[in-house]
Amino acid sequence: MKIFFATDIHGSEVCWRKFLNSAAFYKADMVVLGGDVTGKAMVPIVAGSGSWQLTWRGQEIRLDSKQELDDIVARIRNSGFYPAIVSQDELVHLGGNEDAVHERFEKEMIGSLDRWLDMADGKLRGGQIPCILNGGNDDIFEIDDVIEASPCVSFAEGKLMDLDGFSLVSMGWTNPTPWNTYREASEPELVKKIEDVAALVPDMGRAIFNFHAPPYGTGLDEAPALDENLRPMHGGAAMKPVGSVAVRDAILKHQPMLSVHGHIHESRAIKRMGRTLAINPGSVYGDGVLQGALLDLDPKKAKVSKYLLVNG
Amino acid sequence: MATEVSGTPTLFLRNATGLVRGWSVRDSIIYACLSTNVVTLGIYEFSFQSFIPKGQLLTSILISAVWVSFLCVAYAGLIVTIPRAGGDYVWQTRILGSGFGFVLAVTGWWFILWLWAPIYGNILSVELFQPLWATLGSPSGATWFASHTGIFVVSLITIVLAGVFVSLGMAGYARVQKYCFYAGLVGFLVVVGLLLFHSHGSFVSSFDSQAHKIFGVNGAYAATNAGAAKSGYAAPAFGFGPLGASMLLIPMMMFYLLWPNWGSTLYGEIRGAGDFKRVFTGMFGGLWITVLLSVVFLLAVTKTFGNDFYNNSNALYWSAYYGGKIPAAIPIWPYPVMFAGWLVHNTAFQAILILLMSMWFFAWVGTLFLSSSRVIFAAAFDRVLPDRAAEVSEKRRVPLYSLILMLLPAVILSAFYAYSTTFASYTLDATLVIAVTYLFSAIAVVILPWRKPDLWKASPASRFKLFGVPVVPVAGVVTIGLLGYNLYEWLHNSAYGVNNKDSLYYMAGMYVLAIVIYVVARLVRKRQGIDLGMINKEIPVE
Repeated sequence: MKIFFATDIHGSEVCWRKFLNSAAFYKADMVVLGGDVTGKAMVPIVAGSGSWQLTWRGQEIRLDSKQELDDIVARIRNSGFYPAIVSQDELVHLGGNEDAVHERFEKEMIGSLDRWLDMADGKLRGGQIPCILNGGNDDIFEIDDVIEASPCVSFAEGKLMDLDGFSLVSMGWTNPTPWNTYREASEPELVKKIEDVAALVPDMGRAIFNFHAPPYGTGLDEAPALDENLRPMHGGAAMKPVGSVAVRDAILKHQPMLSVHGHIHESRAIKRMGRTLAINPGSVYGDGVLQGALLDLDPKKAKVSKYLLVNG
Repeated sequence: MATEVSGTPTLFLRNATGLVRGWSVRDSIIYACLSTNVVTLGIYEFSFQSFIPKGQLLTSILISAVWVSFLCVAYAGLIVTIPRAGGDYVWQTRILGSGFGFVLAVTGWWFILWLWAPIYGNILSVELFQPLWATLGSPSGATWFASHTGIFVVSLITIVLAGVFVSLGMAGYARVQKYCFYAGLVGFLVVVGLLLFHSHGSFVSSFDSQAHKIFGVNGAYAATNAGAAKSGYAAPAFGFGPLGASMLLIPMMMFYLLWPNWGSTLYGEIRGAGDFKRVFTGMFGGLWITVLLSVVFLLAVTKTFGNDFYNNSNALYWSAYYGGKIPAAIPIWPYPVMFAGWLVHNTAFQAILILLMSMWFFAWVGTLFLSSSRVIFAAAFDRVLPDRAAEVSEKRRVPLYSLILMLLPAVILSAFYAYSTTFASYTLDATLVIAVTYLFSAIAVVILPWRKPDLWKASPASRFKLFGVPVVPVAGVVTIGLLGYNLYEWLHNSAYGVNNKDSLYYMAGMYVLAIVIYVVARLVRKRQGIDLGMINKEIPVE
């Protein structure tokens, strides 16, 4: 059985489209997206009478036709940002109101995800190609119900899923980050969450851990060291491990066949941890490239027979 | 959180991982300043001026720096378009394709670093061990460090040091680097101060007395000038011309000025024009601080040592080293820092000054194998190298196999370098091979707007235009000119020690090795059912 695993596309529409095409492109039997589906930024486009204005990547742009508007909206979406068409009054309101921004973000995220799931229906042949999605620490909880409601995509958080005899268990929570994101928990809390899902696994020899946080100190979790102002230290030259100790200990304790991770985009890496093959394919969603892992699972030998990191 | 232009929000950000702020430009400048290291690489390379006898160092440095400034623009454009946090291997393979990128990356960022190890070892010998032992009253110890075995032993020390720093990781070393940089800068200012506040006459008498005290040489200053003249060398009068000969020094100056982009990288996902300026300023600032220090150093040396003496001492040393009949008055490499220290007749001061200036070396040696380790890990993750190449031992956190791949060939080449004067003359091969890798990066910059138009349009680099023409691809063209010129001269002019048959075989061997590794990997993986050709194949969007 061949699985394509990708992660951390953060609202990039081009990466989502590629993800939907990945099963056919790589001849994969199923596709898994490991979390952090939603974007991080929203670009306001101010609607005037017959024209629109925005600042995109530092450049002030005026759009005079619907075609120009559609083009820039597509570019913004492909970069992982949300275009938010607003009136001048709405923009002023958003500028001074954190709750209003939060609300608008939520609306854009849900709206975008809805559109994405509609696209999925066609691309995944109405659910014939299994597609599994999970939340990551940057994803708001409101997306869970949206994914659950999709007819062709399965939401994996906290569940055991049977993949032709292999058991997939998923957890999108991570150890605390400096950004205080949505699905963060202390290491002891993570231990509990992991043990809850691990307890569902009938045979660890055929288990796949789909945990968003990478294991600590394994090379799958190297991020730039930051100072207290969130600036990379030493000109960006210094990296440090920022993964989860609970995830590392759980892998070493349970020794699943495979463990797939994301969260730390810069840390595209593979690590053997005893019997377990641990992988973080990394992410460069901002470049419109879908990084992922092609994983061939041998059901007879209960092992990953082939694997390859790809930049699709 | 919102960012604003003229009081109006233009972008809203929410709480999300990785939204980092731009790093300190000062740190970036320090890094670039260390990579274009005026003391470790610059002063060493200045000593080869006699290979282009009429060439003017000042002129060649200034022209080189202006030219390399375009490389800073080109690289800044690439870095903000495709951030290369994953290392240059990732970046090269993505733009140029898997096989081509692999060959260029492993030759330019890994194999050629094997040669840099003994070059660094030799520099550590001539800028620390030899002058320190001489200063501490052991001229025989100093000359031992200049011997074949001495150079080999110091190369081994260098390799071990670099290996340890790679194993410890950059986080700790980056802090050490900064302290070393400031200490080295203090040393540099002391040297310049000594040269400015002492007269030429005072230097001549100090030089003669210290040379007599340490090496038992009488009238060393006059003997040096006479020896150089006898060997057929005449130093050019201090100035800026002739331009043609000075242009021929540029391929030598690349040995130290071609690296302001060595460590530049970028993090964060919300990129703007500010990021381009920040990355560019880091490289450009570091480059031009190095140039400033070089100019100050050469002016101060000219004032106090005398232009003729400085060039004569270097010319005579290298003439004797390569078998010339006239021996150098001072039997070790004429380290200007040691000579400046002789102005103060105090052994402790002289030793401390040499140690302080050695901080320039220690601030940079830890990065010697950094790019190599990144390339090896990335190639192993791409399944081109065996998986073991990226293994890190659980207990000691040491990347044992990658260390072997980096250090063992470096030890073997160090032996060649130390025991074969001919092989040691291939020093500029180390610059040439990296220049080839840079050349293709510069080509990538030029074709980027056509090859990856969406990426280019989204890049802050595409916004910088002059008379409506995008600056970055134009800078790429100028960079191609710089590298093309240097490659032409290296390969056509025998003064650089590069274009002889054995040197060319040596460099060609590295490219052949890289191609063989890639082809074998493709075949072996194919037999295992893994198609390496898939790694960088783009998934269709529609």
